[in-house]
Amino acid sequence: MKQFLIFLTKGLAIIILTMVLLDVLYTAIYMQSDSRSKIDYLYHSKNKSYDVVFLGSSRVNNHFVPKIFNDQGYTTFNFGITRSRLEESALMLQMMVERHYKIKNLILQVDLNINSNDHSEAIRSLFMPYLHSSKTIRDFYRTIPEYNQLLYIPFYRYMHYDARIGFREMYYSAVHKKTNALDNDGFYPLLTDQRPMVAADLSKYYPKRNKGYEEIKAICKKNHINLIAMTTPMCMETINRDYFNHLHEIYPEIRRFENAVTEDKYFSTCGHMNKDGAIEFTKIVFKALFKPKIAQ
Amino acid sequence: MFFNSFHFAIFMPIVFMLYWFVGHKSKINQNYILILASYYFYSCWDWRFLFLLVFSTLLDYVSAMKIEKSQTSSERKMWLWTCVSINLGFLGVFKYYNFFAQSFAEMIHLFGFTASPILLKLILPVGISFYTFHGLSYIIDIYYKRIKSEKNFVDYSLFVSYFPLLVAGPIERATHLLPQIKVRRKFNFNKAQEGIYQIVWGLVKKVVIADSCSVYANEIFNHYTTANSLSLILGAVYFAFQIYGDFSGYSDIALGTSKLFGIDLLKNFNYPYFSRDIAEFWRKWHISLSSWFRDYLYIPLGGSKGNKWFQVRNTFIIFLVSGFWHGANWTYVAWGLINAIYFLPLLLLNRNRKNVDDFTLGLNFESVKTLFNILVTFSITCVAWIFFRAKTITDAVLYLKRMFTNLHFNEEYFRIERYSHNLIPLVLIFVLVEWNNRHKLEPISGKYSWLKLSLCIAAILALGVFSDYKEFIYFQF
Repeated sequence: MKQFLIFLTKGLAIIILTMVLLDVLYTAIYMQSDSRSKIDYLYHSKNKSYDVVFLGSSRVNNHFVPKIFNDQGYTTFNFGITRSRLEESALMLQMMVERHYKIKNLILQVDLNINSNDHSEAIRSLFMPYLHSSKTIRDFYRTIPEYNQLLYIPFYRYMHYDARIGFREMYYSAVHKKTNALDNDGFYPLLTDQRPMVAADLSKYYPKRNKGYEEIKAICKKNHINLIAMTTPMCMETINRDYFNHLHEIYPEIRRFENAVTEDKYFSTCGHMNKDGAIEFTKIVFKALFKPKIAQ
Repeated sequence: MFFNSFHFAIFMPIVFMLYWFVGHKSKINQNYILILASYYFYSCWDWRFLFLLVFSTLLDYVSAMKIEKSQTSSERKMWLWTCVSINLGFLGVFKYYNFFAQSFAEMIHLFGFTASPILLKLILPVGISFYTFHGLSYIIDIYYKRIKSEKNFVDYSLFVSYFPLLVAGPIERATHLLPQIKVRRKFNFNKAQEGIYQIVWGLVKKVVIADSCSVYANEIFNHYTTANSLSLILGAVYFAFQIYGDFSGYSDIALGTSKLFGIDLLKNFNYPYFSRDIAEFWRKWHISLSSWFRDYLYIPLGGSKGNKWFQVRNTFIIFLVSGFWHGANWTYVAWGLINAIYFLPLLLLNRNRKNVDDFTLGLNFESVKTLFNILVTFSITCVAWIFFRAKTITDAVLYLKRMFTNLHFNEEYFRIERYSHNLIPLVLIFVLVEWNNRHKLEPISGKYSWLKLSLCIAAILALGVFSDYKEFIYFQF
């Protein structure tokens, strides 16, 4: 039995050592990767200066074309991430502040994402490689239930979120395989159209006060960032468009752009515009809220 | 409580310590500890099913003694059939009632009648198919006077409910397990070490191979109507490795866990994907179930005695029942039928026991032929697995039709943000490791065992699927 207990102890030591080594390896690789996602780009950047920054979910990622702003003399970047919720947008904004970004205007998509006070597991995972190295990220996640395991058990974070930051992503980061996340200043155009288009159903959506949004408002106020919260277009077949009226009742400051683009030809799916729709929409937003810096 | 769960990682060391440090002085203490642990283990799914397990144990225990004490053969027969009927009755109600009720309604609908069957809202008790067969083998052995009935209820209860095999086998035989339960187990380092190696390798099969393959297989099977031929072929192959990694991984963990308590269980898998024909595949896949059907159904039906027609009939019965044992769905029956059809030429040409010997490969034509046969056997097995995995027989047929008619073989990018071919290197490495170790129980023991153990641990940690947790497939049966 003694021999077996020694054997088990050695086995346990191997497990712990392997976890530590893998954690060090994965973290080192993610630390040198700055072009796989908008979060690693953000983490590795410093002292950036933007006239306009876009934040939100895929309804920002696929809808705002920075080039249209940039052509008018603005410096902009689309930081929208598919599946991101307001909680992750708030953390991204905090990281921008931590990295001494100078931001004049923040365009924040606040529509369907206000329906939930929850987080996005897929996007939360992308912050995890920086948990030890960023106080902002640590502080932000201090209250989540698995915080201690994520922080103190070596390699736990990479196992817990293996689908997003596991071996596959680590390997691609190590070989510097590029993604299109940063192309077009962060804008990702949708090039195919779903036909027939399936109507989006908002009848189960209930807009409510949102912690992430409140946090973003506070950060903007504190750092003198002009916050422009807005809704973005959905196709006219959407069931229960009254949702936007309810949203406006809760947060009257949110600018209403859900009807800015209405024709079906501009939609890839009911909830996402195609490339033409994005261009059209960005032009409308620009015209409504900004003036060209460069003389036409 | 699953073998790959945190709960089990806490449970197992506690039972191990109690077993070897508190109860090690007598067999009675050891058995009490194991039986309490087993009942706790089973109650973690649903404590109410414990009553069913205890009832089934009591029924078999009493019936066995009644059979043994019976003075006349009709009385023996009466006790046997009472016990078999009640056992199969429970299995039938819990597992098959809704299926039969729905199938009956659908059938009479074809004749223009309508029926609204009363469906039962029952949860299938975990492992019921396994422990029912477990008990049946004991009763039948008593009936045929192959063994004496067990008088000690605790020992018998442990035979039925021993936790490593309780929920997904292997289906043990009283002749093999009871003698081990009836003596005090002494700690054996080599056996315990072998057990740890088997557990670790079982975990590699489960969390690295099976769970990774399931991510791709699920995506392909769920969207087979839009996938191309290459993806559909890969979908079938991935599922073949998913079910193999899942079930043989579970069996390895069960066997390894049991070795830690000094008890050997029956081997359930013997590298089935390296079989040269379908008969050899069935001698190597889920061995405890195949041999159960052979001994308690095929041979009583006449087995290979009698004329060819008799043998063919018996073969089809065995495969259909085996398919149906897996679940109450026509897809499983179709899977059994396809395997019977595969088996038929071998039976008719008297070649079903052609490949019983071991083989080695060299640089000669015979080796090429062997490899070709292995590849063909694996391919036809994959086709059968499509029926096993598909939701309906129609889905399976359409899947196959698309596979052979689409004829596009370019890589596809799935909604799960992976390419169809991403997993091929992992599967190939796994096949190579298994191939090189096919004469051993697991690949870790032997030379450089510490290095191999470390690599397996690293593989589990780095390549395992944890965020999208998968249950063991065979628990549903």
